[in-house]
Amino acid sequence: MNFELDEIFIEEDSRASALARRVIEALSPRVPIRFVADARAATLADRNAADPFGKGKRRMVIMRRRGAFLMGCPAASARYACCGYLVLALASNCPMDCSYCFLQDYLADNPGFQVYSNYADAFAELGRLAAGSPERQFRVGTGEFADSLAFDSITGVAREFVEFFAAHRNLTLELKTKTDEIDGLLSIEPRGATMVSWTVSPERVYRTSERRTAPPSARLRAARCVLEAGYRVAFHLDPIIAYPGAEDDYPRLAEEILDTVAPEKISFVSMGSLRMTPALRTAARRRFPDDPMLLGEDILCPDGRYRAFTPLRLRLYRQIADRFSRAGAPVQTYLCMEPASVHRRIFAAEAPTPADARERLCCAG
Amino acid sequence: MTTLEAEQAIRALAGARQLQDPYLKRWLAREQAERVAMLDAARKLRLRTGQLAVALDLLEEIAVREGAGIDSILSRENLQRLIESKGPAPARASAFIAELRAIRFPRLGATLRRLSAEISALALPSGVNVVLPKDLNSDELVIRISVRSPDEFDRLMTMLAEKRDGLARLVRMLGGDDEL
Repeated sequence: MNFELDEIFIEEDSRASALARRVIEALSPRVPIRFVADARAATLADRNAADPFGKGKRRMVIMRRRGAFLMGCPAASARYACCGYLVLALASNCPMDCSYCFLQDYLADNPGFQVYSNYADAFAELGRLAAGSPERQFRVGTGEFADSLAFDSITGVAREFVEFFAAHRNLTLELKTKTDEIDGLLSIEPRGATMVSWTVSPERVYRTSERRTAPPSARLRAARCVLEAGYRVAFHLDPIIAYPGAEDDYPRLAEEILDTVAPEKISFVSMGSLRMTPALRTAARRRFPDDPMLLGEDILCPDGRYRAFTPLRLRLYRQIADRFSRAGAPVQTYLCMEPASVHRRIFAAEAPTPADARERLCCAG
Repeated sequence: MTTLEAEQAIRALAGARQLQDPYLKRWLAREQAERVAMLDAARKLRLRTGQLAVALDLLEEIAVREGAGIDSILSRENLQRLIESKGPAPARASAFIAELRAIRFPRLGATLRRLSAEISALALPSGVNVVLPKDLNSDELVIRISVRSPDEFDRLMTMLAEKRDGLARLVRMLGGDDEL
């Protein structure tokens, strides 16, 4: 994809890393590069900038990750019926710029676009996870704090992870993206251990709110390509935005997904309505004051997040879930950041435990 | 009113109301016709500080949602009636804010009206209250029974059981049932 980088900081410790070499080769001299002893200061927000978060996106920082790579999903909570997703933090922030993105608040203090040079250390963490519970399945995604593929043409990291997961039968890698940057994946044999998932939105949301992402039709075409290359595919309808016309657009989007990928080939579909903490709502509206998608009929819910009021939100879920349930083959569908009572209403079944959900989602499709 | 006169008048009003600076800046940043229309409404309704801030928030949001100018929104008949009528300003100001909310949250308002009509149609006995979640922010319906004797309890439980289908329908409506 077309990066808009102002500068690159590389930590001295990372200068000789394979990742730094690839980035330098791909972007120098087009983008100025500075070497620094400790790059942590370069990740911090420039409070004097008109848009500190946007400025952070344009500053790539190649550095060592100091903490663990593997962690529980930050959205997980006993309040919700969760999916048991694990997150692998290979990067932080994203070159795309969606108006609703939770990173605008989550990374408000350190929005620099960090890419971790010591990513190979994650293999040891993953190895311990796999060996520690060989009878259990784990779904691990790299698309929580960054898009999994947006910068892979430069960093080339995805290949190593696809190959690592292919050798561990109780680990499933999820590469989550809004791009169509799949060329690097097509020559690798994933051996059923990697799924590529696309966050998809109706055309109207894409046009108003998803800057620098691939058009929804291109994402679906890319899904078809990776499926033919041996990958599993999944879709996230998240965020679902309850704008006027959404009742028509989302079922149509479900239709387009099913026209592109046969239902039995879809590993899962997740759904989550647009939800925003007050801080995120303020940050997003400040950055995108003219985006009508940020001005839905959202009200403050008991968990402290703004969402579309309940009957409207649940009706949308039901319409989409109904379309997938009539697909001709079962499609695993789940809700993100919704309580078990909502799960019961939409699917007429008890929500699985996170451990059960994890097993199901790893084995489906 | 010239641009300068409008700015001076807005600053004077904002000063008198101790309106927070970010609100004042947003107000002044609007087109001349919009800021004058807002000034006219604020003066005639004698909006208090909180009302002024809420009105600015709501008008800005409606403007983005509908792709309309604030002056055009304020020129609507239902709002003009409140701005121009002769009744007491506090009541008109409250009704003005309520009307802006109704414009900003049209489907929420319509759903609340339908649910309230369903509750009224149930004709629940005195002592039984059905409480909708605030702004329909959850799918939980609260049914409150107030009693002072075992006999009264028995009587209300019997009457409540008779309303079972209607109450179940309310619970379904809260969950976005397509009957809505």
